[in-house]
Formats: sequence, C-alpha cells, structure tokens
Amino acid sequence: MSPWLRLIIYLVAAPVVGGLLAGIDRRISARMQARQGPPILQPFYDVLKLLQKENVVVRRSQNFYIFFFLLLVIFTGGLFFAGSDLLLVIFALTLASIFFVLAAYKASSPFSFIGAERELIQMMAYEPMVLLTAIGMYMVTKSFQVGDIAAHSSLLVLALPGVFLGFLYTLEIKFRKSPFDLSCSHHAHQELVRGMTTEFSGRALAMIEVAHWYENVFLLGWVFLFFASIPALGIAAALAVFGFVILVDNVFARLKWQTALRSAWLVALVLGFGNILVLSLLR
Amino acid sequence: MIGFKESPWIIHYDASSCNGCDIETLACLTPLYDVERLGVVNTGNPKHADIFLVTGAVNEQSRSVIRNIYHQLPEPKVVVAVGICASTGGIFRECYNISGGVDSVIPVDVYVPGCAARPEAIIDGVVRALGVLEQKQKQMSAMRNSLDKTLYLRAEKTDAPEILTLQKIAYQSDAEVYGDDSVPALQQTLEDLENEFDRRPARETTVLGARGVSPDLSEDKDRVVFLKAVVNGKIIGSVRGHAVEDTGFLSRLIVHPYFRGRGIGRRLLGEIEAFFPHVTRFEARVGHKSKLTQGQLSSRGYAVSRQEPFTPAITWVYMQKERK
Amino acid sequence: MILGPIAAGMGLLCFRAEAFRQWSVGLLTLGIAAASLALVTMVPVSGLKLMPGNLHGVNLAFLASELAIALFLLYVGFRARRPLIVLLVAVQSALMCWFEFRHGAHLQPAYNLVVDKFSLIMALINAFVGGGICLYALGYMREYHGKAHADVPDRRRMFFALMMIFLGAMFGIVFANNMLWLFLFWEVTTVCSFLLIGYTQTEEARRNALRALTMNLVGGVAFAVAIVWAWHSAQTIEIDRLVASNKSLALMPAALLCFAGITKSAQMPFSSWLLGAMVAPTPVSALLHSSTMVKAGVFLVLRMAPVIQSTAAGLAVAMVGAITFLIASLAAITTSDAKKVLAYSTVANLGLIVMCGGIGTHEAVWAGILLIIFHAVSKCLLFLCVGVVEHKTHSRNIEDMSGLVIDLPIIAVMMLIGMAGMFVAPFGMLISKWAVLKAVLDAYPALSVFIAFGSAATLFFWVKWMGKLIEVVRARKVLDQHLELGERTALYGLSLATFLACVLFPLISIYAIEPYVKNIYGQSGGIGQGNIIIMLTMMVMILLFPLSFINYGRGVRVTDAYLGGANLQSSVRFSGSANQPQDVTMGNYYLREFFSEAGLTKWGVVSCWVLLAGLLATAGFFAPAPGATAQGTPEHFEQPAAKPFVSAVKSL
Repeated sequence: MSPWLRLIIYLVAAPVVGGLLAGIDRRISARMQARQGPPILQPFYDVLKLLQKENVVVRRSQNFYIFFFLLLVIFTGGLFFAGSDLLLVIFALTLASIFFVLAAYKASSPFSFIGAERELIQMMAYEPMVLLTAIGMYMVTKSFQVGDIAAHSSLLVLALPGVFLGFLYTLEIKFRKSPFDLSCSHHAHQELVRGMTTEFSGRALAMIEVAHWYENVFLLGWVFLFFASIPALGIAAALAVFGFVILVDNVFARLKWQTALRSAWLVALVLGFGNILVLSLLR
Repeated sequence: MIGFKESPWIIHYDASSCNGCDIETLACLTPLYDVERLGVVNTGNPKHADIFLVTGAVNEQSRSVIRNIYHQLPEPKVVVAVGICASTGGIFRECYNISGGVDSVIPVDVYVPGCAARPEAIIDGVVRALGVLEQKQKQMSAMRNSLDKTLYLRAEKTDAPEILTLQKIAYQSDAEVYGDDSVPALQQTLEDLENEFDRRPARETTVLGARGVSPDLSEDKDRVVFLKAVVNGKIIGSVRGHAVEDTGFLSRLIVHPYFRGRGIGRRLLGEIEAFFPHVTRFEARVGHKSKLTQGQLSSRGYAVSRQEPFTPAITWVYMQKERK
Repeated sequence: MILGPIAAGMGLLCFRAEAFRQWSVGLLTLGIAAASLALVTMVPVSGLKLMPGNLHGVNLAFLASELAIALFLLYVGFRARRPLIVLLVAVQSALMCWFEFRHGAHLQPAYNLVVDKFSLIMALINAFVGGGICLYALGYMREYHGKAHADVPDRRRMFFALMMIFLGAMFGIVFANNMLWLFLFWEVTTVCSFLLIGYTQTEEARRNALRALTMNLVGGVAFAVAIVWAWHSAQTIEIDRLVASNKSLALMPAALLCFAGITKSAQMPFSSWLLGAMVAPTPVSALLHSSTMVKAGVFLVLRMAPVIQSTAAGLAVAMVGAITFLIASLAAITTSDAKKVLAYSTVANLGLIVMCGGIGTHEAVWAGILLIIFHAVSKCLLFLCVGVVEHKTHSRNIEDMSGLVIDLPIIAVMMLIGMAGMFVAPFGMLISKWAVLKAVLDAYPALSVFIAFGSAATLFFWVKWMGKLIEVVRARKVLDQHLELGERTALYGLSLATFLACVLFPLISIYAIEPYVKNIYGQSGGIGQGNIIIMLTMMVMILLFPLSFINYGRGVRVTDAYLGGANLQSSVRFSGSANQPQDVTMGNYYLREFFSEAGLTKWGVVSCWVLLAGLLATAGFFAPAPGATAQGTPEHFEQPAAKPFVSAVKSL
C-alpha cells in the first residue's frame, strides 16, 4: 500500500474506528458495572449534538487553540500512518498536546487551569517513555522510519518486552482514563469538574472528542507496530491492549499526580531504559 | 437532526432540597434504571450540559447560583424542576427565605411532581425534556437560518405573554450583572405588562413640561408602542417607547441571548425611531452596568445626558440623540 | 573587526557625552554587522587563513596585555581577599611568561587567524545578536538609571566600553588560530564579564562577580596548561593543526581545552557563576547567555570534537553535558524567577551542545552548531523581553506575568515566539534536539536517557510559562507601551531572526554547517529532504495560527467561567463561605517538594566533578607524557587500555 493511500484511509477511517471504539468502551464499561450501557453509536450522537449547540466561551480566542490541537493530532496520525519518521511523529504529538494545554490556560478558569497543570505533569511523565519507545524501535530496526519499522522481519515485542510494557503504561496516561484521569476527569463529579475541557462547549468540545478518537487510533497503531511482522497478531494485540485499558479504568481509583509522575518515570527508567541497556549490551 | 434526542447531558443542582429528590435522581444512574442507555451523562458542568435539573425550592442562597448556571448553559437548553418543592415551593412555599419554585427565577420547561419524585417519573421528565429540547433546537436553527427574514412589527396586547417570557430570559444577564433581584424587568407581572399596552404616557413627566397641549387620546401614537422582532412566528426581540411632544422615550430593548450580536437590537432601535416621524429628540434609559445596550445606543448616535440613582444597585443612565 | 570594537570601547571610556555614545555604538554595530556580512562573501570552504608566520612582536604585545590583565586581577584578588584568585592568576601568568620566554622565538605558527565557516557563523551571531544587544542596551540603560534603579551609580561609560571590548574579544576568540592569541581574548572576556556582572556594585553583585571570575580563572589555568602541553606533545600552538594532528598527541591538550570550555560555558560543577550573573543588568545577561561568553566555551569544545571523538575523555565530556542538561532542566521547573529560568535553560542547552562536542561525530557537530545558532537568537530575544517586562511591571516573577498578553501584547507575542523557538516542534531548537538524539543513539545510546528525561522537563517549564502569559484573569493593566528605538530595533530584529532561522535553516545547513563539517570529517550529516518538508508543513500550520484571530469573537457567546455557580458577575470572583466575596488565585506548579534546586545541584556538581577528574585522568593517563614527541609514535597508535573500555561504553 502506498503511503498516500494509507494516509487517506487513516484520515477517513480513524474517526469512524475511534468513535466506534469509544462506543464499545462505554458499552463494555457499563457491562462491567452490571448496566446495559448506551448504544454503540453513542459517541457519534454526542458529537453531532455538540456540533449543533451554542458555542459558549470565557475568552474569545480559546477555541482557536482547540482547532489547532485537532489539526495537529490529525497531522500526527497522518505522519505515522504515512510511514514517516517516528521522532517527528512524537514531536508533532507533543505540539498538539501543547496546544491543548494552552487552550486550557487561555480559558483562564480555575478548573481548566488545574487541569492544564496536571496535563503538563502527565506529559512530563509519559514523554521520556514515549521517546524511549522510539529509541528502542530504532535500536532493533536501525531506522526511525515507521515504514521501515513496520517492514522489519522480526517481532519487535520479543526484543523489546520492557519497552512494550513501559509503553503500555504511558498508554494508560495517554488515554486519560483512570487511574490517570487527572487532567480531564473521565468520570463526572470529581473535584476538578471536567478539568481542561471544563470551559469548552459546542463545536470546540466536539473537536476535542474527535481529536481523542484520532489520537486513540494512532496510539493503537503504535501498539500494532510492536507486532507488525504478523499483522493479525498486531490487530489482536491492539484490541487486547484496548480491552486492558478499559479493565484498568474500571478497577482502579485515581492516583495522585505525585504517584503518577514518580511511577511513570520509574517505569521508563527500569523497563524502558533497562530494556535498551540490555539490547545495547547484547549487540 | 440526529443527536439531540440521543444525547442528553445533564447538570443536576440541589437548590435547597431535603436530598430526597437528589437521591432518586442519582438512583436513575444505577444499574436498575441505567439512564445512560438513553445517552444521559451527568456532566456536573453547565458548559457541557443540555438539561438543567433542579431539585428543591429556591432560597436566598441558591437563587444566584441557579441564575448563574442557567446563564452558563449553552443554547438550546431545557430546565427540569424535579419534585414538588422545585415545581412550586412545596411545603416550604410560605417560608420566609423561600421565593417559590424554580420558575420564580428562571423559565422552567418540564415539571416533575412528587415528594420525592420517583426515578421513573424523573426519567419520564427527562424524556419529555428531550422533546422540548429537540423542538427548541429545531426552532432555533430554523430561526437562525431565517434571521434575514426577520419581521419588525408592532406588537399587540396578545403578544404580552410571549414578550414577558422573552423579557425574563433576556434580563437574566442583567440580573447577574446587578447582583440582586432589583431589576424591575424581572419583577414585572403579566397584568402589569398588559396594562402597559393600554397606558397613556403621563404628560407630567416630560422634560419640557408641556402641560396643557391637548392630546388626542384616541390617537394610537400616544400610547406606549411595543415593537417586536419576529422570526418564523416567534418573538426574539422587542423594544418599547412613547412620544411626548417632540421627545421620544425608549426603554426595554431586549433580544434573546441566542440571537444577540446579529444586529437585531440596532434594527429594532431604527424601527422604533422611524415609528415616531415627527419626534426630534430621543431619550433612552438603561442601567449603568448594561454595557451591551449602551454600546448599541452609542453606535446609533446616542450620548449620555444624565444619570439618576434608582436603587442602591442600579443607576439609570439616560442617553439621548437629536434627530436631524 | 576585532580591533574596531576594542578601540571604540577604549574611545567610549574617554567621552562622557550621551549623544556621542549613542552614535558611536549605533555606527559600530552597523559596522561590525556589515563587516561580518562582507566576510561571508570572502570565506572559502577551507577557511580563510590570515597573518602567517611567527609574529613574535605581536605575541610580546599580547603577553604584555595579558600581564596587565593579570596585574589588575591580582589587585582585585588582594582587595577582595580571595587567595584562590591570586593563586590562579599567578599560576597562569607565570606559566605563560615562562612559555613565551622559553619557546616564544621558536614558535612557527603558519597562520595566526583562520576564518572558516564555523567561525563565520559565530561571527555573524556575535555581530548581529551581540550588536542588537548593544543597541537595546542604549535605551535600556537610560531607563535603568532613570527610573528603575535610581540607586545604582551611573557608570554607563564603562558599561558600553566593556560591552564593546567584549564583542571585540569574542571576534578574537572565533577567529584566532594561534592559541596564545586565543588565550588573551579568552582572558579578556573573563575580565569583562567580571566587571559587567559586578556593575551594580551591590554586595551580591560583587560576590557573584568574584565567583564568576574564580571559576573562569580555573578554566584559564587549564587553558594555559593546554597550550604548554600542546607545544610539548604535538609541537604546535595552532588550533587547526592540533585538531588535524595525531589523536593521541592532541588528546590531553584537547581535554584541557574542553575543561576550559566547560568552565566558560557554565557546565555543571561551574554552573553557579552563570546563575549568579543574573544580578547584572539584563543586556549583560543577554550578552553572556546568548552570543558571547558561554558560546566561546562551547565553540572551543566543538572545535575539539574531532580529537575527543570516541575516547573516554569524549565520553566524560558528553556525560558532563548530559547530566547538566538533565539537572538544569529539572531545576528550571522549581523556580519562578524568569531570569533564573532562562539561565537554567541556557545551562541546559549548553549541556546539549557540550554533549554534541563530546560525542564528536559529524552528525553531533552538525547538531551542535545548529543548536548554537538557534539558542543564541531565541535566548537573546527572551532575555531582552524579560528586561522590558521587568522595567514595565517592576517584576520578573513568572507568576506576575499572568495576562501579559493583554498588558504588553507585543512583548508577550515576542516572548511566545522566543519560547516556541526554544522548544516547540518545527522551530529551530527542536530540529537540533532531534539531530542530537540521532547522533547520541549512534554513538552512546545510553546517554539518550538523559535527553529523554531532560526534554520532558524542558517541556514542562516552558509550557507553564507560556500558559501564564496567555491566561487572562483580571482586567487589563494600563502600562507604558513605549520602547526606545534601540530596544525596538533589537526586539523586532531578533523576532524576525528567530523566525527566519527556522524557515531558512536548510540553507544555513547547506551553505555553512555542512561544508565545515565535511571539511573536517569528510562527510556531513543533515536532515533528509522529506523531513524538512514535513517540518516546513508544520511551520506553515503554526503560522496559520495568528490567522485564526480573524475569527475573533465570532459565533461565540462570552460567559463567565464555571465557579460552581457562585460567580459574582465575574470569572474570577466568587461568593465564598459565609457569602464572603473571594478572588480566584491560580499559581503554577513548581514541584518543589518533588525536586529541590539545592539537592539537584549538589548531585550534579558532585557527579560532574567526578567526571571531570575522570576526563583529565584518562586523557592524561593514556596520552604520552609531555616531551615524548611525535616522531616515535606511529599513526595507528592506540590507547591500549582505553580501547576496550571505550568500546564497552560505546556499546551502551
């Protein structure tokens, strides 16, 4: 498949897949709590509704940042699926997150402010592990190009078990779910209301939702990369990881940010860096 | 349009409830009732919510909170009063600190009676609210699309109830600005408003003091004139004014919050000025903190002429303009 | 170009009139800018070689000025009762005198000045960024003495003279090929920085200036030893020959020069002098941090890169850089003083550059030079902006900068540009960081962990500062928006430069950096074309951002922020308990209970001292003793014991 084709498929299919995954997530979560749960298409209904709602803002420019967040998240995923440089993908993702955080700062409400601060801490927590994941993949495949990594003949996860586990940990943070829903409060009625998204409504909130869908698909794509030499296994693994995230979401209470930061760095250092250290010694 | 009926997000506020209705409301989220199957999410954040669910009667503490939250809900929005206290004040109605049901502060769309309201009733109320919500959404989007076909007409006495509702919605923002319930527009009753349609302006109040000029009482223009801005048969804006001699007095320029910033207010001003062709001087009265209206007036050439304290919270600002 | 500013500086000392000062500084800035541009057209790829032969007379003149400086420093040392300073000055001048009289006549330097592409880049930075700072300083210092710091004695005559001499000496450092010459200019910058840091003459300023002096003198001693050693082992005192000569012979002098570079560029055991230098007026900080002083240090380290590449010494240098980067980045999180954050960020970025030098591969050097360029421009812009903010709001606390975007919109936007230049994706610094990461992975993968954690910390402290700038939690403060002509020129110029450097970096890379790297290594790094296109796409996206403001306020309804419904007609005032009106206050996280500045510094200093000791020990141990000359050692001389060790570390 040519990179352009993959790119176009991503742009079109990612929101559909992401939305469906979000619907499935809510359904499974409901079942885990002995409830029936909303329809699978619920996330789409929500977004459609939000698009028709009035746009209420605190600061007039706050929604521009959200637009760029969405744009850059799509760009990130696009780069990834077009097989571009993995480090560039990470930088683009970071830039997107920066826009999201700045949007929350711009909204200038105490809840979004605390959300922004915590999101920054979370970014600081997962950033090393994300970089180390890219580095680990480079160590095995000798390339940062996603295309080359995907085409590598061996199963990456075998060489990078520690990195994979560490990456799983960062995924927990990136999905912004319990125990790491510090910044956006995935479940309602918590001390920071809706965190970063508190002051966004209507179209801006819809954009945030859609951005999360794109982001989730991209992250699962990255999980796939660990198993890329056996595509079927890769898809199964991506889905299994998604299921695991849901399970963790339902069984864990939220962590304090101190714990989140400390544990994430410990994981990056022990699992991620340890793995890389072993790799380089064996080489 | 898909969406509104499928995705009601709720903010639940306890005005002064005994917690009976609150517990029943939260019971709706439990596995037995699981309202999430209807797409309901209890957001706890007005900016995300569609439905404002209030329990308990309104007391002095909760009045401003209800108003704030209502104001922060994006349109279209629906208010559901859950329980008898929220609907009418219930057994607390006569208490010294209770001002009545939720509708004494904000317009309510659905009333769910009961003490405490049963979860089934609450769910039923929410589902009914969905109907209202969708209807409002349809109306509003239709109205938004035909704003260019807005009609500016003279209002009749029969329009009084609709204008009063609009007035109460439009002045919510003023109530927030001025802090208490001293805003007279929010105190006005329907009879009072209907009487205003019949009222003839008192000559004595004129600045010129032109008593003795015999007015033709049968003439229409001596009455208070109400203009309305109508879209698809719904009133979204209004202004009133009367002429005494060569001075026109304008007041109560109101536009539905959802349709503000689209030139409707300015257009209404132009229309009512045109209604009094022989008047050479217009005087408009606004509250000192109503910056939006003041801005509209000054953009049409009005300048502040004098100020007059009205209540501790409000000072009237008189703005005037000479017609060339 | 070297003499011009110095002469002008001397001239400035003699004249008191302010108008004269303005004209001469302005003209001089233009002059050096024009001269450096002219130089661009003259320099061939291999470098322009000037002033051949042993100019013994000139050398003696240099020695005389060195001795004059030494005498002055001795006086300073005695007056401040700092025996260490006296000792260091005595050692280095004794060494230099001895060397000059013993060997001065035999030295056969082929060229005393060499201008290659790298020097040219440095010269351009020096001319434009340094010149911009001088222009800025004209207006700034007037305001400084006028309103902001009326208690400080007005010694502007000396101030501008020193700034000019500083610039001249910096040109000297980047052009000099003869190490004796280089050494003089090196010492001149040390003295100038000492005087400038102590400008305000307060107790704190004096203390910090002395600290800076002491630390830089340690580097100076290392430099002097390096010269002697280089003569004895490699029989040359020329930088280019030293680099080209046998690695094993050049290793010890190179290690010593790196040590000197590390002191000058304020790496970890010595970082405190740069942090202390903040007490000086802002233009001084900007000059020290962006274009001169510290850049001289990394310049030297990068020059030595080919020698220390894949040696234990190189690894030690790289480790020092890496540890400094991580620790300074973490420390920057804990502080809310804007200048201090900038200072820590400088130290961190210099750490990255030193790391590049220590790695020493062609990719690393490429990345290092790129870092120097981007860092100089962005950091200078940020310093100058903070200076303006401090004058206008009388605070340089980041918390007080909340809402700056409505109070001082132009300055705030410039600061945002500068910060974006410092760490955001398509902008310069990130390109370089990316290249550093790749270079590190190919050389010492283990060091990548420092970059991974350090960048995360960098992200945190920049974004929270950006957030403070753009948030709006109160009504607009009416502030004086006026900027002096010089300030305006410098600020707009630097904003444009930040921006242009990012857009034009492929050109800079192709025409300046790659030829230099190729000249030394025979091959050159760079970023693939596809990636450049992606970068530029991102750049375009970011540039679209201001366009979205066309839509400002359209289609939205403005309401108050959610405060549990208890708002009091405002987003930041609410009715608290017992109906007491309360104001919302929002403060950034500084994670002080998590990282302590003192603790971090302590660890950094200790580990870096160990590394530096290791650096000198390994280089000294494996290098042939001074006196064992080149003739006996074959070209493929290898360090017997070092080899396995280095390769073991390399495999990490």
